[in-house]
Amino acid sequence: MAIHYEDVNEDIRRIFLSGRLDTAGSEQIATEFAELAESAKRGVVVDLSDVTFLSSMGIRALIASAKAQQAKGGRMVLQVSGNDVVSRTLEATGIDELIPTFDDEADAERALLD
Amino acid sequence: MPSSATQPPAELTIRGDTWDARRASVWLTSVALAHRVPPAQIVRLDHCLDEALANVITHGGPTALTSPVRLQFGVRRSQGTCTAELSVADAGVAFDPSTYPPERTPRPASLAEAKPGGLGLLMIRSFSDDLSYRRSEGRNHLTITVSWTEAA
Repeated sequence: MAIHYEDVNEDIRRIFLSGRLDTAGSEQIATEFAELAESAKRGVVVDLSDVTFLSSMGIRALIASAKAQQAKGGRMVLQVSGNDVVSRTLEATGIDELIPTFDDEADAERALLD
Repeated sequence: MPSSATQPPAELTIRGDTWDARRASVWLTSVALAHRVPPAQIVRLDHCLDEALANVITHGGPTALTSPVRLQFGVRRSQGTCTAELSVADAGVAFDPSTYPPERTPRPASLAEAKPGGLGLLMIRSFSDDLSYRRSEGRNHLTITVSWTEAA
């Protein structure tokens, strides 16, 4: 499980997650992920394109950070880039209806500025 | 535990912790491939296993964490219909996910309503075709079934 980020501009931060976001992997990155999302100014794109497995613990981290963003007037979106394994999990749990989810990088960033 | 004609059920014993849960996933993938289970079905089984073990670790209580968790896996094939069964046996507090009311694990309607948790059972139900449960000799025995068809 790996995590890194890039500030696209003053408003948007992209957080890249890769590898297996199973229960162990989610525990491994939970604190750093929450801190990175929390310290973003306006919006966060969480890039799940290279995640090979997404557990309920991983979804829990996504929900907690999306709610924290919302509470401070920001927004969080997900980018999956056609990752079927991740998309299927988001659909199965209904999370794709709660946190806007995009295949395309530009669409994801645009959604944060709307 | 059903099995194919040539391969007996595979078994693994792990500890009730998240790193052994990952070891269990590696084992599951290996034995499922050996049983010629398609990758898409292995992903379903893998999700069910991770969530089942997370439930044991998170909600099973102290006994679940200090007692071995036993896993069994087998595949049955009959006239193009294939059924994989994965059993998880733990010594945690009694809990039957197969009859746990679905309305107690609803899909959240909004981000505001969403709670950061409670999705594990929803995922097990989504990714499996059948769940069965029994309590025997102080242990939970959960069997997760995934089915698919195979071209002749």
